Amino acid sequence: MTTDRELMQRVAQGDEPAFAELANRYSGRLLTLAWRLLGERADAEDAVQRALLKVYTSAGTYRPEWAVSTWLYRLSTNVCVDEIRRRRSRSSLRQAMREEGVDGQGPLFSGTAVAGPARRLDVRRALESVPLEARILLALRYVDGLSYQELARVRGISVNTVKSQLARGKSILKMALSERRRRPRPAARVAKGA
Amino acid sequence: MTPRTTLTHDDLESSLTAHFHPVPATGDLVRRTLDALRDDFRPERFAELAQIEASDRGIRMLSPEGEARPPASAAEKRLTAKAREELFEYLEGRRSFFSVPVDFSAMPSFQRKVLERTYRIPFGETRSYARIAREIGNPRAVRAVGTALGRNPVPIIVPCHRVLRSDGSLGGYGLGLPLKVRLLGLERATPVLEGCATTGIVCRVGCPDAMRMREDSRVVFASVADARSVGYRPCKVCRPADAIA
Repeated sequence: MTTDRELMQRVAQGDEPAFAELANRYSGRLLTLAWRLLGERADAEDAVQRALLKVYTSAGTYRPEWAVSTWLYRLSTNVCVDEIRRRRSRSSLRQAMREEGVDGQGPLFSGTAVAGPARRLDVRRALESVPLEARILLALRYVDGLSYQELARVRGISVNTVKSQLARGKSILKMALSERRRRPRPAARVAKGA
Repeated sequence: MTPRTTLTHDDLESSLTAHFHPVPATGDLVRRTLDALRDDFRPERFAELAQIEASDRGIRMLSPEGEARPPASAAEKRLTAKAREELFEYLEGRRSFFSVPVDFSAMPSFQRKVLERTYRIPFGETRSYARIAREIGNPRAVRAVGTALGRNPVPIIVPCHRVLRSDGSLGGYGLGLPLKVRLLGLERATPVLEGCATTGIVCRVGCPDAMRMREDSRVVFASVADARSVGYRPCKVCRPADAIA
């Protein structure tokens, strides 16, 4: 099989089939990353498309000491972060709409879940309380098992920051998930009080 | 302290693994990307590939081809990066003005007069070559105005695409007529002003303050007067009152 680096070299020379091959190799993982960060499949597809176009147009600036995957994740993550910043506030309405139709309707819950759909929903909601940087690192780590070293390169931060951010993200997540389980449903509380 | 149902390490790991389990992308995604690659006009591609040159005072050159001199100072680098970002947002229909300054100083005096006047044509509006000629005090220099605009070194940011013939026909365009048509259409489809219902402030679309607005407080206005009539005040950052009557 042609290696990623060989493909990248050909992409840098404007080789479209090589680009298609590379895009096919990574599109699933990049899509999942973008989807988990942006929340909507359509937005995620736009972001991946934008990232892939960037890969093609700036293939000349790719430096072979980087793993191709690291570089691809870096470009894609940056596109997603730009998008999040751009619409940080704009999403609140969409968020509200999504939350209303939350039971089973959201695109995130249609797949066959390893854990039950309820658990998935919990994780998605709990992730919302995790700060952006930690959330990005968690996504990269769990979508493709990136090493601390790779995560540091993708985000342009130190390995120690990666470790502390991941630990912090997980502890916030754990707390959020535990609390959610413990807390009785508001309706039940009202019934008890009456 | 109330005892808390704790989540084990394994529980968390398996939840995260399930949540981030890769979904297959449809072949469609890659095919659409390839189509986009072949399409002759994509905002991100245009903005990415645009050659932009700045002095410390502002942008001097913007061109889809050729090669710009690399930035010689931090200020130049910052200006070119900002211009690229604003260009992208503008082409995507998310920006109705450029905040990045233009450096007119290297232009011959006649061209400079023409372009400085053109620079002030509001977003979404058009002027005729004859009117520009009149406004710079050379009513008979209509053709020369056309030539000066045709050699506009900073197209799009200095909106020479907003200048048409008096009979309403398009005239020419240095970057090709299809792009002129596209830009004029884009400006008609992009809102110019938006107000925030929470703060009562009206901004130009693309203002950093407006980008922070909540979607459900966003109100589109046709003019500053329109916004004022319902109690909004113009933003002090993007100053819509100075630019749009």
